[in-house]
Amino acid sequence: MGVTVLQQYPVPENKTGTYVIELLTKRILALGASQQGQFLVDCESYLSHPQMGTTKTVHIFHNSEQPASVFSILDTGSKNIHVIADGLFDLLMMKLSQHYTSKKQTKIESKGPRFELGDFCIKLGSVTMNQSFKGILVEVEYRPCVTPNAVWGLLREFLQGFLGPSVMVQAPQHLVSRMNEIYTPIDTIYQYLEHFSAYRKITGMRSA
Amino acid sequence: MANSVNISIEAPIENQIQEITYDGQEIYQAPLSMSENLARLAQKIDFSKTEDEFCNIKKEGESSSDSKSEDENKEPGYQSSLWPWDSVRNKLRNALTEVSVLADVLSIAKEKRYMVLDPVQPEQTESRPMVQVYGRKKALGAAAAVLLAGVERLRASETMRMTRNMPDFHIDLLRLRQNWRLKKVSNTIVGDLSYRTAGSKFSQTGVFEVTKAPEEQIAQAMNAAGPVPSALRVTVPPELQGVAFISVLCQKEQEDVVTATLSSAAINCPGTLPGDGAELHWQQKLEAAQNVLFCKELFARLAAEAVQLDASIPHMVVGNQIMATVLPGIQLLIGLCHNNGQNTNNTNPEGVKPESATGKSDHDHVLEHSLHQLLRAVHHANTHHPFPHPATGPLGPSKRRCLAGPMAADRYELLDMSKEQSLLEQIIQQAQHFFMRRRSEYVLDTIAKEVKDPLIVSHWNALNSPTQSCVKINIMAYGYDAVCRTSLVVHVGEKTLKCICRDGKVRHLSYELQELRDLIYCQIYQHQMTAVQAVGRCMGWQLLASSSHLGSGPVEPLGNASSCLLASPNGDRMLAIRCEPSVGIQVYIAQSPRKDFFTSELVQDKKWEHLGGAFKEIKLEKMEGKNFLNKMELLMACLSSPS
Repeated sequence: MGVTVLQQYPVPENKTGTYVIELLTKRILALGASQQGQFLVDCESYLSHPQMGTTKTVHIFHNSEQPASVFSILDTGSKNIHVIADGLFDLLMMKLSQHYTSKKQTKIESKGPRFELGDFCIKLGSVTMNQSFKGILVEVEYRPCVTPNAVWGLLREFLQGFLGPSVMVQAPQHLVSRMNEIYTPIDTIYQYLEHFSAYRKITGMRSA
Repeated sequence: MANSVNISIEAPIENQIQEITYDGQEIYQAPLSMSENLARLAQKIDFSKTEDEFCNIKKEGESSSDSKSEDENKEPGYQSSLWPWDSVRNKLRNALTEVSVLADVLSIAKEKRYMVLDPVQPEQTESRPMVQVYGRKKALGAAAAVLLAGVERLRASETMRMTRNMPDFHIDLLRLRQNWRLKKVSNTIVGDLSYRTAGSKFSQTGVFEVTKAPEEQIAQAMNAAGPVPSALRVTVPPELQGVAFISVLCQKEQEDVVTATLSSAAINCPGTLPGDGAELHWQQKLEAAQNVLFCKELFARLAAEAVQLDASIPHMVVGNQIMATVLPGIQLLIGLCHNNGQNTNNTNPEGVKPESATGKSDHDHVLEHSLHQLLRAVHHANTHHPFPHPATGPLGPSKRRCLAGPMAADRYELLDMSKEQSLLEQIIQQAQHFFMRRRSEYVLDTIAKEVKDPLIVSHWNALNSPTQSCVKINIMAYGYDAVCRTSLVVHVGEKTLKCICRDGKVRHLSYELQELRDLIYCQIYQHQMTAVQAVGRCMGWQLLASSSHLGSGPVEPLGNASSCLLASPNGDRMLAIRCEPSVGIQVYIAQSPRKDFFTSELVQDKKWEHLGGAFKEIKLEKMEGKNFLNKMELLMACLSSPS
């Protein structure tokens, strides 16, 4: 487990998502990477019943990189509480359907090819919500390191290198306050939550 | 009569047997679900019985009971097959009708206008008391005769047993019951000697039958000298009779596979257990049969694994032999030897030939024992799941796998967890380690024998695992072990050696032991160089230069030549020592002022004589001294004295 940075890639005007994915794939392969299968990160949100007081949201995430785990983040409005559990957690959520109702129409996922290049692992995900394309998320992981501070410069350079100068590469909001802490898989999920929430808020494609 | 004995009682864990196939496998019925069970119990309720009683109470002679019986006759014919609850429903409905009719009748009778209830004289049954008495007497007499005959037989056999001092069948059965699983199936007593309850998943059953031994045989055995015979007779299925063991042997690979199999088939199987089958005590007999079953399970598992594993050199399974290559040129042969005991010749089904002693081939008891241990560990793991058990969720995955979800293990870790070493792989690793250990021992011993100066002492750790051991090697010279000693540690693994040298360098060596040999030789010469410097320091000599990797001279086949230069305390003599692993140690001496200094036209000044002259080699073998360091000490001592 290394440090992962998630970066949104703007889709240019009158270009499709597949075009951008192919473009980035070509660039990565030119760097000498090899494709290692596909990946998928999905998120489903459950709203608490109004009778339970203030509305809370539970986000359930699955990440193909941790196939045995289910990540859940409880958004109380003021703070986020996360729980990592094994696959049976999905069944538990079904039992709780009286108290937490699933918002099916906001099911959102990011999937696409996965590449490995030395110590880097690159994932090009096209984000879809209800089968409608929303944008492109690029995930880059540097595996030998676990503290973001030590590797952020390297990751930024790498990202800037193949995304091109048109993209502003900034440290993810979630990581800014945790630069010196040990990176764990849930940090990746928080980054996805940030981006997915942004995608849900806007209709159509997200440009910046 | 006997003292109190603990008997454990258990409900049969099996479900009802639906069918027994020809190979003896039992097909069980699936247990009933809750609703099915309820329906089955409801079917059992005898509604007609209560109805009859009900009718008697009514005494009204309502004709409903007749019509009901007609209904009942009809019902099972076509309706019960429709729906399981149909008959119950009909009966309840009929009961309701009757109850309503009765209520109507009662309400009419209460009015006393249309209907009056009068007591009716019950019909007098013709009773003839004497007939009944005779009938009962006859019936009782018949029953008593049966009981008396039984008592007579029991008493006769008991007295006969007592008089002849024969063993009691039931006491023996009790003893058997304490150690073995028994159950009664109709008229016979059968037991199970398989390891299923201990976690085995082998399909072959281990059913045996318990019978009473015929009295003549017991009497015969009583007359003969020896232990007291048992009244029990245990019958074990023929495929479990006799003696079996797993033979494990390691041998040099032979050019021809066929010859290898032929010669290796000549594993001697010990004959039957002492004593003939019938006279053998049941405990020994059952234990032997259980051992046969265990060996068969072990071999079946190994054979299955040998076929499944894809090794670089494929494992071979021929008959009851498994062949696996351990190291290049060395084979591991695992065979199942089963001597049925019925026939000493080749006719037994396992095909083991008790051949004439072509060679008490070196059967490896340690590896055989390891194999048994490995299978028992598998059995243990099958029944002992790590705590805590989840209330929901599957039972069986390892603790690491249980934690993998909450700890967010990634796919590589999960893949790592799913890898499981088979028994065959583990035993091959143990065999590999065994060979590595033996070869390293041999190499170290031969070097210690070849090299007398310095001494090489190796200490093997007594505590080691089946796949790893460790040896510490000390290199030192006799009498100088306080001055200098070189020690290194060698970890012997499965296919590699790991050497940790004195300077902290770690070297990984392959299974080719020439590498270990070269390394030790290099260490020996390195030791000599450091030791001579240490001796020099003790003697007050000064180290001018030293190099462990000389670039000059011919190229060495192993390592590099090393050298050092020492100066005497007052600086008038110099020693140069050069050490080449292939040549040995050479010592040169130079002194100043040089004796053969003559002024020439080029070098006129007298002072140049202090530069020291040419180095002259010393013939070490001609010198006094027990070993090299001793010689060097003497040399330095005599050179230190003012000339």
